[in-house]
Amino acid sequence: MKLLPAPPMLRRPVVQRALLLAAAGLLVAAVFLPLWGMTLVSVQYPEGLRMIVYPTFITGDITEINLLNKAIGMKPIFNDFFLELKVLPVAFAALALLCVVGAFIRRAWWSLLSLLAMAGVGGYGLWSMRHRLWQFGNELSPTAAMTIDPFTPPMIGSNQIAQFATYSYFSWGTTLPLIAGGLVLAVLWAQLGTGRRPNRQRARAKSVSELQPARS
Amino acid sequence: MNSFSLRWSVAALAAVSLLAACGERTPDVPGQRTMATGDVQKAALATYVKPGDLDEYYLFYSGGHSGQVSVAGVPSMRHIVTIPVFAPYPGTGYGFDEESRRMLGAFTWGDVHHPAASKTDGDYDGRWLFVNDNANNRIARIDLRDMKTRQILGPIPNTMGNHGSSMVTNNTEYILVATRFSTPLAGRYEPLEQYATLYKGAVSGIKVDSATGTMSVGWQIMTPPFNWDLGATGKGPSNDWAFWTSYNSERATGKLEVTSAQRDRDYIAVVNWKNAERAATGNATTVSAGVRVIDPARAPGVMYLLPCGKSPHGVDVDPSGEYVVCSGKLQPTATVYSFAKIKEAIDKRDFEPEMEDGIPVIKYNSAVVMEVPVGLGPLHTQFDGKGFAYTSLYVESAIAKWKLPPYAANVDPKSLVVDKIAVQFNIGHLVTSHGDTRRPRGDYMIAMNKMSKGRHLNVGPSQPESSQLITIGGAKMEMIYEAFTDPEPHFAQLIHRDIIKPIEFYPRSESRDRNAIWAPDGARVTRNAARRTVEGNVYAIRSYFEPGRIQVQQGDTVILHITNAEQQRDEIHGFGVVGYNKNIVMDPGETKTLRFVADRAGVFPYYCTNFCSALHQEMQGYLEVMPTGRRLTMYDASGVMRIDGRAAARGVAAANARRTPAGSLD
Repeated sequence: MKLLPAPPMLRRPVVQRALLLAAAGLLVAAVFLPLWGMTLVSVQYPEGLRMIVYPTFITGDITEINLLNKAIGMKPIFNDFFLELKVLPVAFAALALLCVVGAFIRRAWWSLLSLLAMAGVGGYGLWSMRHRLWQFGNELSPTAAMTIDPFTPPMIGSNQIAQFATYSYFSWGTTLPLIAGGLVLAVLWAQLGTGRRPNRQRARAKSVSELQPARS
Repeated sequence: MNSFSLRWSVAALAAVSLLAACGERTPDVPGQRTMATGDVQKAALATYVKPGDLDEYYLFYSGGHSGQVSVAGVPSMRHIVTIPVFAPYPGTGYGFDEESRRMLGAFTWGDVHHPAASKTDGDYDGRWLFVNDNANNRIARIDLRDMKTRQILGPIPNTMGNHGSSMVTNNTEYILVATRFSTPLAGRYEPLEQYATLYKGAVSGIKVDSATGTMSVGWQIMTPPFNWDLGATGKGPSNDWAFWTSYNSERATGKLEVTSAQRDRDYIAVVNWKNAERAATGNATTVSAGVRVIDPARAPGVMYLLPCGKSPHGVDVDPSGEYVVCSGKLQPTATVYSFAKIKEAIDKRDFEPEMEDGIPVIKYNSAVVMEVPVGLGPLHTQFDGKGFAYTSLYVESAIAKWKLPPYAANVDPKSLVVDKIAVQFNIGHLVTSHGDTRRPRGDYMIAMNKMSKGRHLNVGPSQPESSQLITIGGAKMEMIYEAFTDPEPHFAQLIHRDIIKPIEFYPRSESRDRNAIWAPDGARVTRNAARRTVEGNVYAIRSYFEPGRIQVQQGDTVILHITNAEQQRDEIHGFGVVGYNKNIVMDPGETKTLRFVADRAGVFPYYCTNFCSALHQEMQGYLEVMPTGRRLTMYDASGVMRIDGRAAARGVAAANARRTPAGSLD
C-alpha cells in the first residue's frame, strides 16, 4: 500500500510535538466537559428537562427525571451507579499521558498504540452508553405503577417516549477526544511517511529525498 | 347644599339609576347576543387576553371582611389567586400549620381595607404589600416574592378600628395608620358620657425594617376623639408629612348619622412624621400599653388640624406632592389645598383662635386653593400623572375627571371638570395604575363598586361587588370591562408586572428550616413518653409520604414537620388528616409544621390534598391512634419509631438493587 506523503509541515518535529501535546490538552480538557446530553420536552415541561453526562458525573434535572421514571419502573439515575464515571476520567488521563510520552519519543508505533487505545476507550464509551440506554429502557421494574413497552432511547437524535419528546446529542466532551484522535492520526501519518526519527536523520541528510532509502 | 335638596337629589338619582338599569338589561333569551360593533369591538379587543397570554398589570385588591387579598390580572380582570391574610384558607392550608396559626392568634377574621405596596423613591418596588385589619387593629405584610403573608402585627395598642391604614412613606420607612373609633387609651374603661374628654384617637408610626420588612410599633400620637377615616402620605415637597381625614369633630356619641353631621366642617390632620419620630424620644410623651405616645399639644410641630368639608372621606396627595385633595361625602366638592400654603400658614402661625385639645387649627382660607364641584358623594381621588385627578362619586355612581392646579385667575370652577363617566353602581374606592405614587402610568383605572344589581346572572340575595375597568389614556374615559368580585373589595394597588418578580418554588439551597428533610431516609418519628409527644419529620414527594404509617397513643400531642421535597413548579402537596379537621399545604421546597392532640382513638388516614400527579390518589398513609391501655408496637426503647417502608422508599435505588431480574420473577 502506497502512503500519500504527509505535507512537509507535519514532518517537522516541533509540529509533531505540538500536535501531540495539544491532543493531550484536549483529552484533559474533555474530562471537564459534557460528553452527552438529553432533553425531554412535554406539555407539562415546555422548558424541558435536561440530563447532562460528564465523564465524572451526571447532572441536570435528575431528581425530576427520576421522579417521573419511577412511575414506569426505571432505575434511578445517580452517580454511584455508573462505573463509567470512575473509569472514564482515568482513561482520558491515561490517553493524555500516552500523547505526552509520544511527544517525547515520537515513534510511529507509539502513535499507533495511542490511537488504538483511544479507539478502545471511545469504543468502550459508546458501547457502555448504548448498553446503559438499553438497560434503563429495558430493565424496567415489574412492580412499577405503569407498564410500558421496553424501549431504547436513541444515542443521537429525537424520539417519543410516552408524553415526552426526547432529544439526544453529543457534546464537547466527545468532540475534543475525537479531534485529539485526529491529531494523533496526523502525526502517525507523518511518522509513517518519514521514519521514526526524522530530526536526527534530517541532520545527516542533504534533502528529504535522501531520507527515502533509509526507510527500507 | 342643604340636607333637603341633597336627599332629594339622592332619591332622584336612585330612580334614574334604576331606570337606566332596566334599559341595560341583558336580552331575555340567554346566549342571544348582538354582534359587537364600534366601541364595543374596540373595548373587547383592548381587554381580551388570549389564553396563555399575560396581563399587563397585577391588581391586588382587598377582600374586606373576607379577611383576604385577591390578585387579578388587568386588563383581563381575571381573578388569579387569593392570598389569605386574616382568615384561615384551607385552599392553601393557611391557618392550620403552626406558623400561620400563630400569626392569626385567636382571631378567625379580619376586615381588610387598604392594601399599600412598599415604595422606593415614591414608586412601587415590588417587595411587600401591607394590608390593614379594620376590625382587630392589626396590620399584615405580604411578601411579594412568594405572595405569602409573613407577618401580622397587632393588635396595635391604643387603637380601635385600624381603618386609616396602610399609608406607606416614600421609602417605606413607616406605615402610618390611624384609629377609626376613639376609646379610652390602653383599653381602659371610662363611661361613654366622658367621650369628649377621656376618649382618644391615635395615629401610629409602624416602623418597617428596610432589609426584612419586619414591622414594629414605633410611636403614636394621641388625638382628640374624632373618628379618623383615611390617610395619605406626602411626596416630594410634602415627603415628611401625612394627612388624615376625620368625621365627628362634634365629639358626639349616639346615632352618629345625625349627631356627627352637625358642623359644617370637620378636620384633616396634618402630621409631620419626621417630627413625630423626633418627639417620640422627648419629654412630651407618655408610655401607654408599652408604646411611646406623643401628646401633640406639648410637642409643637408634630400635628396640625385643617378644616375640610363636612364629613370628609378620602384625602389624597397628587403625584407632585404639592396638592392635597380632600372629599366631603356630604358636600359635592373636592377641596384642593396647596401644601406650600399649608406650610406658609404653619410658619406664620396663621391659626384659628380656638384650638382642639391644644392642637393648632390652620385657617381654611389660608390653605385652600379651590373647591372643585365634582358631583354628589365624592369619596376618593386618584391621579394619572398628566395633570388630572379622578374622583369617585358614591351618590352619583360616577367618576369625575378634573384638572389639577395651577389654575388661571378667576377660572370658572365648573370648567375644571372635564369628563364624567357613569359606573354601576355606588362606587367606593377607585384605583389608577401606580395612582398613588410619584409616577402614575395614566392608562387604566378601576372603579370598585359596592353594588352590581342587574349586571350579572342572578345569584340570589347575596350579591357580589363589581369592578369596572376604564381606560384613561385618551381624552374621554371609556369603560371597557367589568368583573364581579368576592366580598368586599375596598381599595387596590394596580402594579405593573415588570415590578413584581415572584419565585416558582422555594429553592432547597435557601431552606433554613431546621426540620426540613430532603431524602426519605431523613424521615424520623420519635416519641417522648414522659411528655406525651410524638414528633416526626415527614417527607413528601410524588407520590408518597415517608413514613406511610405513624403510630401514636391516644392523648399524645402530634407534631409533624412535613417537607415537600419537590423542586419543580406547581408540584404542591397537601397533608389532610381525615376526621381530625387538619389540612396543611406545602409549596415545593417548603416545610410546614402541623400540631394537634390525637384525642380520639382509631385509624385515621392522611392523604395528599393537592392534586399532585397521576398517582396522587395513592399518596396516603395511616395515623394509628392506639386506645389508652393498648401498647404501641412500633417504638424501640429510646422512643424511635421503626419506619417499615423506609427501605423501599429510600429510593427506588434500594428497591431496585434488591430486585430480582425481570425474567426470573414468575
